[in-house]
Amino acid sequence: MARASRAPWLTLKRREALEAWLFVSPTLAGFLVFFLGPLIAVVIYSMSEWNLLSGEQIFVGLANFHDALTVNPDFWHVIRNSVIFAIGLVPMNMALALTLAIALSRPRKGVVFFRTVFFAPVITSAVAWAIVWKFLLQGEGGTVNQLLSVVGIDGPNWLREPDWAMAAVIVTRVIKMVGLNMILYIAALQSIPRDYEEAARLEGASGWQVFRMVTWPLLAPTTLIIMVITSIGSFKVFDHIYLMTGGGPENGTLVLAFYIYEQAFEFFNVGYASALAMIMFVIVLALTIVQLILRQKGAT
Amino acid sequence: MTSLKLKITVSALALCLASTAVSAEDLRFTVWTGNEAHLNMLKGIADGFEATHDGVTVTFETIPAGDYIQKLTFQLAGGNPPDLGWMFEDSMPAFVAANVVAPLTATLEGTDGYDLADFSEPAMGLWKKDDEIYGVPFSTSPFMIYYNKDMFDAAGLEDPLALAEKGEWTMAKFREVSMALTKPGERVWGFEFKDGQGYDTRIMHAVMPAIRANGGDAWANGECGFDKPEAVEAIQTLHDMVFVDKSIVPPGEQGDYFSGASAMTINQISRASKMPDAGFNWGIAPLPSGPGGESPVIGQAGLVVFSKSQHVDLAKDFIAWMTNKENVAVMAQFFPPARASVLDSDAFTQANKLIPAEQMKNVAAAIKNGKVLPSHQKAPQILAAQKPRFDALWRADADVNASIGAICDAIKPQL
Repeated sequence: MARASRAPWLTLKRREALEAWLFVSPTLAGFLVFFLGPLIAVVIYSMSEWNLLSGEQIFVGLANFHDALTVNPDFWHVIRNSVIFAIGLVPMNMALALTLAIALSRPRKGVVFFRTVFFAPVITSAVAWAIVWKFLLQGEGGTVNQLLSVVGIDGPNWLREPDWAMAAVIVTRVIKMVGLNMILYIAALQSIPRDYEEAARLEGASGWQVFRMVTWPLLAPTTLIIMVITSIGSFKVFDHIYLMTGGGPENGTLVLAFYIYEQAFEFFNVGYASALAMIMFVIVLALTIVQLILRQKGAT
Repeated sequence: MTSLKLKITVSALALCLASTAVSAEDLRFTVWTGNEAHLNMLKGIADGFEATHDGVTVTFETIPAGDYIQKLTFQLAGGNPPDLGWMFEDSMPAFVAANVVAPLTATLEGTDGYDLADFSEPAMGLWKKDDEIYGVPFSTSPFMIYYNKDMFDAAGLEDPLALAEKGEWTMAKFREVSMALTKPGERVWGFEFKDGQGYDTRIMHAVMPAIRANGGDAWANGECGFDKPEAVEAIQTLHDMVFVDKSIVPPGEQGDYFSGASAMTINQISRASKMPDAGFNWGIAPLPSGPGGESPVIGQAGLVVFSKSQHVDLAKDFIAWMTNKENVAVMAQFFPPARASVLDSDAFTQANKLIPAEQMKNVAAAIKNGKVLPSHQKAPQILAAQKPRFDALWRADADVNASIGAICDAIKPQL
């Protein structure tokens, strides 16, 4: 049987290129439709005043950005809250994750049980988590305050006072998510060859010196990754705030992602919400770049 | 030959599609109930309409209440509008202002035997703009006081229903019995705001009954009403009940009426479905009256036709069918009606198996005399703007007057 003749334009090089494109096309199509398309759409929307309900859409240029950055007093309050949330959450999360990882990285009896205990909140439903904590953090009747009263402390009405509410959402968020970073740190600690520590010990290094001079520098790439993803996650936090405080009390926990949601899905100001989303994108991008630069400086 | 077959097949298919397009009309109707009994009742009403309209089908699509307005808005914006649907009272003004709901007056007036005048006037207020009707209320549910009769009996107090019958159920009496029923050591309170959410999502349900009883209002004609003397006095009373008497479940605490932690609460009659599991004797009574007289507060939901629908006229006809006297009487088992003829009938007072007929008469009276919660085209913005100021109000050390001033300052730009 004669083989079908190949079209003359289909050279081997072209054929390989075609095959490559066919292989990547499903992912590429997904990327274009579900990521790049919406991203470009947000940029366009951010320069319009678009009332979703009436369908009225007017091009307003940079007016939404101007309004957010110079006119709307809520915007800077929201940014302040987001920064406080990030500053409170990132170091606490990382310090706790590292401590737990050091304690649980070596194969000891019961270590798997404790790893599971600390990781369980990560996979717990955010809704269930919020309901339980709202119950525990009640004013006088809450378990937390009852425990505090045993040691003579008159606990605050956690979720009804702005400053304490922010502290409460940060701590409960850290407890929920620390397991993820703990696992990353455990993986990193286990990949450090034991020879380095043994060599340092032979040189007479103390436990702290081994950590400070050997372990910590070798954990730097992991620390950077964790810092980047935790910072980004803290700026994007939404569900936790929505479920625990709804941005209150007195807008004390109104963070940027929640504010964007409110503008888009409650007030239907899609243009303004898109502008805020662009600002959030720039903040997160800037944070990532700064951290990468710091890392590179550290490496050199 | 092949070409001929192909042509015949294509022509037949085109003919089928064309005839389907001409004869079959499917009305898509969005609702926020997923309750099987509700949906069966709605389908029963739709069956009657389909029987008289050849080729017409009605499909009910459930969207959960929490997502309802969002998803509806996105369907409208995305060019996939439902033909008709349920509508929340506080969302209606924005939908009317955006011209996305169709006027209904001509259809309702032109439908034989419809009797538009049968709808009680206060119940229709929210669904009209400039004398044009844009929606028909299908549920007009007044807020009532639910009380735990066992707790009143144990304290040797007359219950709210008995006090109301004697004309003594006033705000002052409400405060007095709330205090008498509070047991601080046992974490039992006299009163709980609606569903325990009076400081969060139910601020208006928390403050409006007291404000209305005192003769005030939240806002009217573009002016803030919270800072008027009647409203200030009412809010001060509630504040004192929360923080001085400690008889209302305070912010940050959970004191669920339905599990016996509060002696009274405020809610609509649909919540009676929770009572069989509560394990105590109970009753419902009107809201306490005040210097403003009896001031029932009503929560409503209505039916609207979306103007971008492909079947606007048919959808309008369906609303007229659904809200005729017969079908309103059918719906009364779940949704208190706005038609006076149905309210006065035994069909309504005996419709709810959990609530005795004499208590249902109070419900009917409240519907006739009640006033809906204040609404506004920018209701979501107003509620969001006032929320943080109310948070500041609901603190033990709050300066009530200053907090109310801040509430008005926050909402004035939106009003």
